[in-house]
Amino acid sequence: MSNDEVGSGVALSETEADERLLDRLAGFSSEQTGLAVAGFAGFLAVWYVAALFQPTYLLPSPVEVLAAFVVELTAPASLSIPFTGAELPATRLVVKLIQSLYHYVPGLLIGTSIGVFAGVAMGWNTRVDSIFTPVTRLLRPIPPLAWIGFAVIWLGVNHQGATFIVAIGSFWINFYSAYGGVEGVSEDLKEVAASLGVDDDWTMIRKVVIPAASPSIMTGIRTSIGQCWMIVVAAELIVGVGVGYEILNTAQNLAMDVSVAYMLVISIVFLVSDGLFRRVERRALEWRA
Amino acid sequence: MSGDANAGADATATDPDETATVRVDSLGKTYASDRRTVEALSDVEFAVEDGEFVCIVGPSGCGKTTLFRIIAGLEDATSGAVTLDGSPVTGPGTDRGMVFQEYGLFPWRTVAENVAFGLEEQGVEEPARSERVTEMLELVGLDGFADAYPKELSGGMKQRVGIARALAVDPELLLMDEPFGAVDAQTRDMLHGELLDIWAETDKTVLFVTHDVEEAVTLADRVVVMAANPGRVREIVSVDIDRPRERTESEFAEYVERIRGLIGE
Repeated sequence: MSNDEVGSGVALSETEADERLLDRLAGFSSEQTGLAVAGFAGFLAVWYVAALFQPTYLLPSPVEVLAAFVVELTAPASLSIPFTGAELPATRLVVKLIQSLYHYVPGLLIGTSIGVFAGVAMGWNTRVDSIFTPVTRLLRPIPPLAWIGFAVIWLGVNHQGATFIVAIGSFWINFYSAYGGVEGVSEDLKEVAASLGVDDDWTMIRKVVIPAASPSIMTGIRTSIGQCWMIVVAAELIVGVGVGYEILNTAQNLAMDVSVAYMLVISIVFLVSDGLFRRVERRALEWRA
Repeated sequence: MSGDANAGADATATDPDETATVRVDSLGKTYASDRRTVEALSDVEFAVEDGEFVCIVGPSGCGKTTLFRIIAGLEDATSGAVTLDGSPVTGPGTDRGMVFQEYGLFPWRTVAENVAFGLEEQGVEEPARSERVTEMLELVGLDGFADAYPKELSGGMKQRVGIARALAVDPELLLMDEPFGAVDAQTRDMLHGELLDIWAETDKTVLFVTHDVEEAVTLADRVVVMAANPGRVREIVSVDIDRPRERTESEFAEYVERIRGLIGE
């Protein structure tokens, strides 16, 4: 049989798939981008007009916020490198953002790793599931920030405290997505693998369960990337460094334009990290229908 | 499937050790729930000889899928035993290649990677692995689709991948559970021809479960006709028509009528 006999086959070549994607993007830009721009411009206009009748400390205008953003982005400050004692020239905004990254990145990595591991373990093994389900049900409803007291007592008012809170937040998100993903892996695939010679748990998990659950695991990671930016802001209100602390600190001094500028920083880093991960996700899950 | 593309593709296929005798001995399966017990299989007994193509047909609820799963080693029997070349079946294994109705392809693996799965587990190293994969894809006529993902394939092509993957590890027995139930009639006819070609070429023993009587008469040397409540063997019918078989032949229609009569359709 030659391939042209395979009449019902609909294999897409790479270029065809690319063209489809471009078509979709083109469709998006012509129809929806206009509305999106109009919506955003309307939001800025309402904000601007409302701010005309209020002092800056009650409602800063978008122009004032932008000005404050530029000042923070350019005002010189020095960045101290941990463990080395070295100081690097930077700007105020960059220093605050890097302080926040000290909490965000390790917290996210630790929480995600432990969360995915625990989720896969509980989703895979019914005994582990039975043992830990009551504990997870009990602990799950507690908001990550509620642990702040322990974070301070155990780790002190410092980077580790905020990291701990972020890790708890990302742990739960990744735990449940991995758990759900593993539970949803079809029996058929496991049976096929068994019939093809997979006879131990570790191989089954590595070669079947984790790939099959990867869409769900990836969604969990992406959700936690976003949620952790929100958690880090809250955690920093207490530990007194980073972008989160700056939002509160400047507001307490009624420098609302600066406070909103730092809120904007959170939005931007969220959009950038989410956008980057979406690209990674699309690559990794190319096989998905 | 044209023979010329695959001539000499599988040098080991004619080795008599590669084929198997399946024995199903007074097999019984009972499911017990809180309120009642259901006898899915009762005293099922038959054998499949080396290189034979046997179809199991029966109405829904006759336990043919349960029987398939017990032979595959995915479920335990309540009584009796299944033996393959004399050794009892205790679990799934690479001596029985399985092909499912819903294909069971690994969607994150390409066509070639799906076919390679069992070879990886057997520790077949490159380049032997890739050579075997190429050979199998040629056998099922998918040589141009090695790098496609399952989502890009039609149902018929997916099932060809399923067959290639099952055959790659060189099982003694090919176990197929309504493999063409999810493809359209035209593709099914084509796949029947291809499957018979592959069977002739690889000399495998095939056990094929279906509810379609015409499909069974098209394919099988012998048809195990099952009845329901409890699931049991009603009769075993030898189909003595030369291949390729045409559905329009009167002999073909007679077999179909006879088996339908046994089932009570």
